[in-house]
This record gives sequence, structure tokens and C-alpha cells, in this order.
Amino acid sequence: MAKTKLIDSIEFPAEKSPLKAFVAVGAIGILLSLVGLVVNTEQFMYSYLTSFAFFISFALASLFLVMIHHITRSSWGITIRRIPETFSSQLWIYILLFIPILLGMNYLYAWTGDMGDRHPFYADLLDHKSPYLNTAFFIVRNIIYFAVWSFLGYKLYQYSIKMDETGDWGIDNAMRKISAPGILLFGFTVAFASFDWLMSLRFDWFSTMWGVYYFAMSFQALFAFLILIVFYLHSKGLLLNTVTKAHIGDMGGWMFGFTVFYAYIAFSQYFLIYYATIPEETLWFYVRFEDNWSIIAAFILFGRFIIPFIVLLGRPAKSNFKVLKFVTVLILVSHLIEVFWIVMPTLHADFKLHWIDIATFLGFAGIFLGLFFYQFSKNSMIPKNDPKLAESLNKH
Amino acid sequence: MSTKEKSNDRKVYGLLAEYANPAKLMRAAKLSNRAGYKKYDAYSPFPIHGMDDAMGLKNSKLGWIVLSHGLVGFAGGLALQIWTSSIAYPINIGGKPFVNIPAFIPVTFELTILLSAFGAVFGMFFLNNMPKHYNTLFNSDKFARVTDDKFFICVEASDDMFSLEETEKFLRDAGATDVEVIYE
Repeated sequence: MAKTKLIDSIEFPAEKSPLKAFVAVGAIGILLSLVGLVVNTEQFMYSYLTSFAFFISFALASLFLVMIHHITRSSWGITIRRIPETFSSQLWIYILLFIPILLGMNYLYAWTGDMGDRHPFYADLLDHKSPYLNTAFFIVRNIIYFAVWSFLGYKLYQYSIKMDETGDWGIDNAMRKISAPGILLFGFTVAFASFDWLMSLRFDWFSTMWGVYYFAMSFQALFAFLILIVFYLHSKGLLLNTVTKAHIGDMGGWMFGFTVFYAYIAFSQYFLIYYATIPEETLWFYVRFEDNWSIIAAFILFGRFIIPFIVLLGRPAKSNFKVLKFVTVLILVSHLIEVFWIVMPTLHADFKLHWIDIATFLGFAGIFLGLFFYQFSKNSMIPKNDPKLAESLNKH
Repeated sequence: MSTKEKSNDRKVYGLLAEYANPAKLMRAAKLSNRAGYKKYDAYSPFPIHGMDDAMGLKNSKLGWIVLSHGLVGFAGGLALQIWTSSIAYPINIGGKPFVNIPAFIPVTFELTILLSAFGAVFGMFFLNNMPKHYNTLFNSDKFARVTDDKFFICVEASDDMFSLEETEKFLRDAGATDVEVIYE
């Protein structure tokens, strides 16, 4: 019964790394995106923001998962912890990736420009909101967000690597001490960042649930992504006896739980606006339920709540690899489409996929996964000296 | 066998085997399962991880009980609101339709949860044969230590494979420190 020893190799073998493929995909995506930038700058900015908000959501949710793991002293996920740790350690890279958004702000955010020939209502409203919505404060806020995230992600990763090297269990305390205030800072920064990046696309609209909505989306999608990465590692013959069916079943359980949480939050946001029927609030949904956007909205409802909920309801399904492969892909696709559905109606009254959308997606996918596998293969794939490792390995 | 002669006319309930530690109990449970015993149970002062697998227990039926209750709550909640607000007493609220599904969801959700919770709690009682004020194993003085530091397996006489001599030998071979006959 007891299987408390590591029997897998925990080094990522260089020849199995898909790094080159991702570098190639990323390079093609970046080149195409640059063409897109020249050809259609406005479309490029919106596509870029969509891809940015999609990919950073995994890194942010990873940071939260790592911190909650430290605070609760969880043992179940020690063997998979290095994956989210690696994602969140790379949050500093998004500082660089955010620069294009800062440069192209006036394409994305109407509040950066003057109101031109729009109704005077908007000028008054913008004047009212200008203490918060102004370019200088936007930049300052984003510097704070990225400083907090970069510090937390990088520090927790470094501590974890240090424990690998020294085997000093006292580092466990240090990680917990960072994580507790880190969670508090994370909550505020992510909420405000989502206000700034996505909600302020329309400055006349607001939802107080927006921060938790973005977080709920991200955290649900993260588990889908983690499960797929574990499947990928398994397909390469890695960590087969280290990340077992029991760990995957736990991640399936989390994914199920946060599918419900996501639905709860997303519905609550919709419901409050629907029931109150205050015109300026309903406008956001009005646009997104018009024409073929309504098909997209229905796809999101089924793709990331109804189908995963029904499929994952039974206990065996949560650790059934075939079921999980289907559900994780469905959730990830729905997550991407939902971010698209949030951003794009600001630009297009009808749903249509532009080639620049695909270009920026490929560029980001290449950067994101390439950097992940680069970093992931540099250190061991699990925190090998963690005090709770044996407990996690022994899980069933 | 250490039992007194006068007990011989009483009906045998089963054999109670005592084990020294959880590992031995787990091994004995696994052996009993492999040997083909069906009506046996393991008793320990605390839950032991992996015991379900060792005893070959199937997943609990509780999930299905909860699901059926949840579905009744879901359908009942929806039906209640549709009937009250569109058939029995239709009221125009802000020009919204009488059958206003988004507005019905909170109550439907709450009723689904409420009935599921009832299903879970009372279903658990039902599956565990609770409340149960008396257990034949209380006839054994040694069994009192199951809440402290001893581990037991009881093979019931109603099991098809049960035989006083064979089963006792089997339990001793499985590492029992003591085997006792339990009478009804």
C-alpha cells in the first residue's frame, strides 16, 4: 500500500521538451501579429487584449493556487505544485507584454480621448469618473499590480527552488508568511486590474462583481489547463507514478467545484442587472445578446457550465481520463471564447473571427507555453524536498 | 475456544478477531475480501485510508439518493414558481414575462440544495442503519477497546462461507491476536 518513495525521474528530459515547436508557433504568431499591427491597428489592439487577458488569467490563477496551498498547508497537490509555481513565477514577463496595451490605449479605451460628437451625457460622465479613469493613474495602478504579482510569483518560486537545493524545511514557514498577506493583495489587485483592462472598455458600464467574475473564470480554467499539462507529461512517460489518478481526481474535483462557483458568480452578475433593468447597466448585456453574439453567449453557458456540470457530477467521472480530456478542452475553449465575448463586442457589432485574433493567440501561446517548458525543464518537476511530499505521494 | 459451555445453546452471531494495529487490520481485511467473505466488517478507533479498497467496498449509493432528491427539488422549485406566478396569481412585475426563468433560478437553486442536503443527511442515516441503539458486538467485553486502541474484524455467521473452526483458523492465520465467538 505505502508508496512513499519517488520512483519516477523528476528531471524533465531535454529531448522531450516541446520548446522548439512552441518557439516556432510563437515566432509565426508574432510575425503575423506585427503584420496585423501595421494593417489594422485597432483590430490588433483588441485581439491583443483578448489574448493577453486569456493567457495572464492562468498565471494569476496559478499564483492564487500556490498561495492558498501554502496557507492551508495542503499536502494533496505537492506533486503538481511546481506547474502553477512555474506559471506564476513568470508573471513579471507580462510587464513587457503589457507595454503594447499602454501604447495602444487610445484605441482600446474611449475614456482616454475626448468625447467628440457623442452625447454630452458621456462628457459629463467621463468628467465625473476622471479622477480614477485617467492615463497617468492607469499606468501607476498597473505598475502596482505587476509589481505585486511579479514579487509574489517570483519569490515563492525561488523559495521553492531553494528548498529543493537545501532541504531546509524552515522555508515552508517563510512561504506561508508571504502567502497570507499575498492573498489579500492578490484579491484587490486582480479585481482592480480586471476593472482596468476589461470593464473600462466601456467607461459608462460597471459591475461590482467584475473582479470576482474574472477570477472565477480564470480559476476554473486553470484546473482544466493543469489537468491537460499532466496528461501531456504522462503521454511523454513522465511522473506516471508521482501524479497519480488520485491527484488528477482531486484536480477534477476542484474543476467541478469552480465550475459551479463560476456559474454562481456569472449568473449573479447577470441576474442583478437583469432584474433591476437599469438602462445603462443592461446595455453591456444587450450588445452581447444581439445577433450572433447570442449564439456565443449560449455556447459559453453550455460549454463551461451545463455540460461540465452534468458530466463531472458523478464521482468516477472526475478521475476518468477520457471524460476529463473532453471536459478540460471544452472549458478552455469556452474560456477563450468568453474573454473574446467580453472584449470584442466593443469593436464589432457582429461576431466575426478576424485573422489577427488567431495571430495574437498563436503568438501568446508560443510565448506562454515556450517559457513554461523552458522554465519547467530547468528545475525538478516537483518540489522534491517538501516536508509534505511523502504524504502527497501516498495519496489514494 | 475460550467460551463457556453454557453458551453453547445460544445462537452464534459471528467471530470477532482482534488485531494489534491498523496495518494488520488492513491486511486481514484484504485477506478476508480475497477469501470471499461477504458479511464481515472492520472496526477501528479512527478512519483508515485505503480500507475501502482493502475490503473491496463499492462506491456508496448515497450519491444517487442525493441526486434524486436534488432533481425533485429542482423540478418542484420550478413548478412551484411557474404555477404561483403565472397560473394561480399572475402579477406583472416590471413588464417581465410571467414565466420568468432567470428570476426563478435563485429559489429553484435553493430548493435543489435543500432537498439534496436532506437526501444526504437522511440517506446517510438510512444506509448506515441509524439510529441503532444496540449492536450484538457489545456482548464482547474486549470490543469496548475498539474506541481506544484495538482493531477488530467480525465475520458474521450468516456468511455463506462461515464455519466456526475454518473461519477461526483463517482469522488467526491472518494475524489475529485473539478470536472470540459472539452470541446473539
